[in-house]
This record gives sequence, C-alpha cells and structure tokens, in this order.
Amino acid sequence: MSLHELTAHRDPQDLLCRFVPTPLRTRFRHGVARVVVQTNDFSLLPALPLDGEPKQAHKPVFEWKVIRDLDATGPLGEPVILDSQLLTVVGLGPACLVCVDHERKELLGFIGAQIDARTYQEFLVPFFCRLSDGTGLDDSRLPFGKEREENHGT
Amino acid sequence: MVKRVFERQTLPFSTDFSLAGTRCLLSTNSHEILRQAMRWQGSAPASGERTFWMEMMEDPSFKCEERALSHFRGLRHVVLANIESKAFVAFDLLRKRVMGVICPAVARDDSFWDQRLLPVTIGVLGTTLGVAPLHCACLDRRGKALLVAGASGAGKSTLSAALAQRGFAVVSDDWSYLSRTPGGLIAYGLSATVKLLPDAVRFFRELHGYSTRKTFNGEFAYEIDPVRTLSSAAATSSKPQWLLFLERTVTRGSHFIPCRSDYARQFFEEFAERLPEELPHMRIARSEVINALSACRCWIFRTGESPQGAAEAIQKFLENSDHVAA
Repeated sequence: MSLHELTAHRDPQDLLCRFVPTPLRTRFRHGVARVVVQTNDFSLLPALPLDGEPKQAHKPVFEWKVIRDLDATGPLGEPVILDSQLLTVVGLGPACLVCVDHERKELLGFIGAQIDARTYQEFLVPFFCRLSDGTGLDDSRLPFGKEREENHGT
Repeated sequence: MVKRVFERQTLPFSTDFSLAGTRCLLSTNSHEILRQAMRWQGSAPASGERTFWMEMMEDPSFKCEERALSHFRGLRHVVLANIESKAFVAFDLLRKRVMGVICPAVARDDSFWDQRLLPVTIGVLGTTLGVAPLHCACLDRRGKALLVAGASGAGKSTLSAALAQRGFAVVSDDWSYLSRTPGGLIAYGLSATVKLLPDAVRFFRELHGYSTRKTFNGEFAYEIDPVRTLSSAAATSSKPQWLLFLERTVTRGSHFIPCRSDYARQFFEEFAERLPEELPHMRIARSEVINALSACRCWIFRTGESPQGAAEAIQKFLENSDHVAA
C-alpha cells in the first residue's frame, strides 16, 4: 500500500475521516508511561526512544492516533484551546486538530498536508507529550507563537 | 494564546431546551446564548436517555472569519468541528457532551444557531440519543409525513418546494431526524429552509429578486424560507406514513413503483455514515429507526416531469392511496 493510498482517504460514508487506515504502529517511552502510536504516515512516527520492554510490563499506557490529513492544507493557524476535566481540545486551524481524552488516555489528532516533519517532530510531538501528561497547557513552549515565528518564519 | 476552561465557575448560567425530541442541558457564560436556547424551549422534555449536555462559551477573543468553509474531523468517540470559522466545537459521543466557543456576533445570530450549529449538533450527536439523521426531505400533510429520499442531485429540494406550493408543510428538505417514541416513529426537522440550486429559478418565479449564496457545503444556492417565499405552511415534526425514492428520467410522465421494505432498509443503510466501533449502540439505534421507517408504504417514484408536474402527480397519488387505505 503506497503512502498516497494510505493518506488519500475518500470514503463518502466516512466524511469525518474516522476510518482512515493506520497500519503504522510503534511504542515509545515518555517518562514512566508507554505511548502506543498509530498513524498512516511514516513521518508522523515520533522520533523518541522506543519502548522495548515486553507488553506485559506494568506501565501506564497512553494511546496516540495521529492521521496525516491531505485534505487539510495551509500552515498552523491561531490556537483555539478548549479544556474541560475530561477533554482537552486544541485547534490550530485545519492543519492541526488534536483532542486528548484524559480519562481514556487517548490522544486523537489530524495533521495537515503542509506540516513538515521538522515542525511535527520539534514542536508538535513535544506538545502532544505535554498534553498527554497534563502539563501541556501550563507550558509556554507551544508549537506556535513568538518562538516559532522567529525560528521558522511562519 | 487563550485557553478556555469549561467548568462551573466559567459557565455560570444554565437552562435547558428541546431539539428534535432530545433535551439539551446548556451551560454558558452568555446572556445571548441563553436567549438562543430559550427560543427552542417549549415542547415536552425528553426522557433521561435522550439528554445531552452543551457547554457553550462566548468569547470576544475568538476570531470569526467571513466566508470560511466548515471543517469536520472525527476519531473514535470525538468529533471536532470548525463551523465556518464562527464556532469551534468538540462533540464527545461517548459522554453525550458538547463544548464550544463562539464570538459575540455569532452568539446573537439566530440563523447561525438555527441553520448551522443546532443541525450540526443533532447531526453529530443524534444517533447516540436515539435520533437518526437520515438524508431525506420530509413534508407534512395533515399530520402525516411524506419522506422523499434519493441520490444527491435527484431533485429532492425542488420537489419539496413544489409540494410546498401545493399545501404540504415543509418539515425538512435535506436532513430529517427520526426517532422512535412510544407513540410511533416521528420525523423532526430543524430550520425548514429549502436549498435550491441556481437553475431552480426556471420553475419558481418567486426566486426572482433573491440571490444565491455559498451554502454550508460550499455550493452556491438559494436558501429560502418556504413560508415566506412560497406561502406554504410550516411544521417541525410529523409521523412518517409514505416513503418515495425519487429517480429522474429523461422521458416524460411519472410512475410509482411499489417497493419492499428491504429496498428502503438497504437504501438508508448504504447511504448512512459509518459509525465508530467504540459506540456499537449507535449502529443498533440507527438500524432500529431504519427498520421502523421501512415499514412505511414505499415506492420508487420515477419522473421526467417538472417539479410542479411531479408534485401534482404525488398529490393525486397520495389522495388515491388514502382512499385505498380507508
């Protein structure tokens, strides 16, 4: 299956892109937690230390499902953050939509076509880690704002 | 960066309202949003399992954009919606909760609530509440509903407009929200506007003087209020009685071909949105509604007539059908 086949999902019965196949999987460590990642794009596999311990090891598990969304074009937009006890939702325009379900320990996200690997690995992955462990919104190192503008001119 | 925290202290006002047979418990920080909810109060409150929670925040720092398209995505039990860049809303289907932010101008905009936010809400969340959104028009005649289904572009909306001119009340012209109740199946509509493509002006003189505009799905069309523009009656719900599957033909004439309930069931199941595995009860609830709807008398309606000619044929057919049934 080519990358294009994996990402160009056009199912009239799935207009929300819920059922985009995510055949690429990995596990990595984040603090004491194990994070299981599913995605449809190699470049969205986080460049973080892999978790080589057996699955049975007793570690808290967080699950990420991150979809490369070829229909969402444009750069990261102005952040909109909604935060409740159960869900944290962050929208950076169509180029990045992410939701963390704290109770179910799931991070669900869509990454637009124009978000390159560097932006994803350097800014979004650390941001997702902080969202997953609950510190993301108290941290100024977010993937947008002044620092990012200076570094990347976007 | 502005973080909006949704909790009791930040959303001090609350009320409830009815939406397509469901009950919404709303919390907000805004008098305008309270006013919007109160416009939808009135019908009998729904039972507990048909209750959902909406937390809606008005925020002047949320930037609305003009003429932006909507963007929807979903994974598992969560659906995220940027509605025309005027509202950013998250739907939690597992917990039947909605949270969102809108700018003050949109909080005051009745048409945004009636034609965008509330239809989207029941469209996304409805099946978790036992209300199945089905792609069909619904027209009421003396408390009985005629549902008109068909592929996109078949002409459901122009036929609905023509039926409205013949005394049918438009409940909905595109999406109908069906629910099983102790009294039987009920079809609800939200905001009975009718969307007509530009070429409809050939059949409806009433459209002269109106202009098309970009609609929710990005195409240009007339969006008319059938009561004001076509002098028709309005209804918000009706009891499904007849089901037509509209097919356009190039030859003139109109034909009603009886079809079995299996045909109706298959049609709606095939056109229905796939639902997440995490919420198996949604599929069951929708199938139960579709099964109940399939028990209606149904026909394939093939027509090569103008919308008005087709509407006349339907009216005569249903009058005869009534006599046969009586």
